[in-house]
Amino acid sequence: MKAMGIIFTNDATMGELTDKRTCGSIPFGGRYRQVDWALSNMTCAGIRHIGIISRHSYQSLMHHIGNGEEWGLKLEEGGLEFLTPYASNTNYLYRGKLASLHNALDFLEYSDGDDEDLIVLSDSAILANVDMADVIRSHIESGKCVTVVTKAGVANGQKVLDLALKVDDKGEVVDMVVDFAAPADYLATMDIFVMDKKFLIKWVQEMVARDKYHMDRDLIMGGWRRGQIDINAYQFDGVALYNESVEEYFVNSLSLINKEQREDIFNGKHPIFTKVRDRVPTYYGEGCDVENCLIADGCILEGEVEDSVLFRQVTIEAGAEVDKCIIMNDSVIGEGAELKYVILDKNVTVTPGAKLVGTRQNPIVVKRGDTV
Amino acid sequence: MYFQKKRVIAMLLAGGQGSRLKVLTQKTAKPAVPFGGKYRIIDFPLSNCVNSGIDTVGILTQYQPLELNEYIGNGQPWGLNKTHSCAQILPPYERADKKSGWYAGTANAIYQNIDFVDRFDPDYVVILSGDHIYKMDYNAMVQYHEANNASCTIAVRNVPLAEASRFGILNTNPDNSIYEFEEKPAKPKSTNASMGIYCFNWSVLREALIADEEDPNSSKDFGKNIIPKLLASGHKMMAYPFNGYWKDVGTIASLWEANMELLGKEPAFQLRGGKRETIYARNSAQPSSYIDEDAKIVNSLVAEGSQVYGRVTHSVISVGCYIGEDAVVEDSVVMPGVVIEAGAIVRHAILGEQSKVCKNAVVGGAFAEGEKMQISVTSKGAVVEANAVLKPGDML
Repeated sequence: MKAMGIIFTNDATMGELTDKRTCGSIPFGGRYRQVDWALSNMTCAGIRHIGIISRHSYQSLMHHIGNGEEWGLKLEEGGLEFLTPYASNTNYLYRGKLASLHNALDFLEYSDGDDEDLIVLSDSAILANVDMADVIRSHIESGKCVTVVTKAGVANGQKVLDLALKVDDKGEVVDMVVDFAAPADYLATMDIFVMDKKFLIKWVQEMVARDKYHMDRDLIMGGWRRGQIDINAYQFDGVALYNESVEEYFVNSLSLINKEQREDIFNGKHPIFTKVRDRVPTYYGEGCDVENCLIADGCILEGEVEDSVLFRQVTIEAGAEVDKCIIMNDSVIGEGAELKYVILDKNVTVTPGAKLVGTRQNPIVVKRGDTV
Repeated sequence: MYFQKKRVIAMLLAGGQGSRLKVLTQKTAKPAVPFGGKYRIIDFPLSNCVNSGIDTVGILTQYQPLELNEYIGNGQPWGLNKTHSCAQILPPYERADKKSGWYAGTANAIYQNIDFVDRFDPDYVVILSGDHIYKMDYNAMVQYHEANNASCTIAVRNVPLAEASRFGILNTNPDNSIYEFEEKPAKPKSTNASMGIYCFNWSVLREALIADEEDPNSSKDFGKNIIPKLLASGHKMMAYPFNGYWKDVGTIASLWEANMELLGKEPAFQLRGGKRETIYARNSAQPSSYIDEDAKIVNSLVAEGSQVYGRVTHSVISVGCYIGEDAVVEDSVVMPGVVIEAGAIVRHAILGEQSKVCKNAVVGGAFAEGEKMQISVTSKGAVVEANAVLKPGDML
């Protein structure tokens, strides 16, 4: 059975990081944008027809994805469509995912030869290298209406989860909660769903007609509680990074320095594809000291860098000290500057001798293009 | 099919064996040999074409073309896959009139593809080879050619007089017009060495190729036959002086040197550059490189997808390499996908793609000043067993 995909890109807001971009276009892991995981998960499972739902600030996202060439998306096979609010003349006021999907009904209903029976929905705030073909297989075998991809060990009674499920020994769902700090024996949603396309279209119409717009609350949990739909909980056993706040983003970024974490997230089931930039290899200068770091291409490193993630084309001048930082593309750290627990967005200039020190819980975030 | 008329197209001679690169070209055509961490030699002329606004490139292949063909693909990494652009691979083929077969020389290779060139009805054809590392604006050369109303323009660079007898030497008048061409002269009269980059009026070249093909004594080579014949028949030929970095990477020593010339804060050859100076390459989907806390990297280039735990000094580390704990890499070129296990020592070496240096093995060595440089080389996929020694200058 063939599947098509929907990727939501405006799910989480993360302060300055989502000031002028979608959650999907937040840079992550040195050379990627968050949406690369959802896109690669889908395309590596043979999905060739993907709709990207964006509500606002989607310029950088469109620039990043382009025509989808890098992910192997081709027009002849459906390709990529941006489903932005103005693409539909109905209602563009955002009330929930079901409203977005209602706006995208044309996209959902259209398909070549009608052979795309299934639909895979994914967000771009939770990053994981998922074998989507296995998820689809599990969905078909289960015979259930909806498959929810879940992760054990995320729920801890403190983190508020979009959706959490409790399953019994046989894997049958026995409880479901929405927007709640579920206890540790619950499975957290990874915001990835598989369902029959016709099923989704029917329920989107039924729900929106009754003024219900919240996918997790109204369709998934509501439908299950009313006994109208049954749920297959797929348990993902790899690394899942929940980037739903600046703190989580910071901690998860630095966790990539760990070998197991890194290998799973980048190459666990398949490679993660991203936009090609044609940068030169990174140059390590005479006096540089780089320890325990993830370094992208195109950098010039003359200073000291420790426990940090450097994106493309970053310059660290001699005598600068960078410790536990995330430094995005094209930023320049001047001579003798000192940075600890800092996130520099793209194109930031840190003048020589400047000192910025944050904390692990509250890293300093410097906005794109700023000079410190 | 519709073919847009082009002012300039390029023909890239990529069929040579490159036998002086020894084990590195055993199974790979020279233009596909990796260079500078993430590139292959052919990326340089191809990127130069794109940066010069030339969007139609015929690539003539013959020797071991599999890897090269795969690498070029549809030309997408260079933006040569659009409606009005192409990177067309042109292998030798069989023709009804039997005037075909293996490419018998550089001129014969173009002769056999006259039909390809004719489709674009170009005013000028630029002939390039896939053996050199340089950045050059071919369009500036074409403009120079056009402004001088020449039939053929040859790019030249100044070489030391002592080395001039290794090159094709062009003797020129003060206005840079060529009056004499000498292939590897014993007593060179000038130091203008041909770079093997030619710009021809297509009508002139087309006629010359057909005439040369009829000549039974011709070796069907641009340098040996076409250029001297055109000069003898009174065509206006110009030398186009080029002062930038240019390196023939046809030998193990020069390939190693060219890689080393990428190093330093102000390297002899700068890979970095603005929009029209970018070198494009086919990218592999590799994550960023990981540099361990015990790693030490000094004056080196490291491309993406590598993991470095050991010590790297004055070296080029390509995409997807692994350098284990306490391993030492000095003055070496490490090609894509190489694994150097813990405790291994690599000095003055070129490690071919996907080759492996096992635990505590030793490859190459230092040599004293003035001593003959000896580069150790591993071929693609070769394995230097644990504790084994590959002596300076040895190949595996």
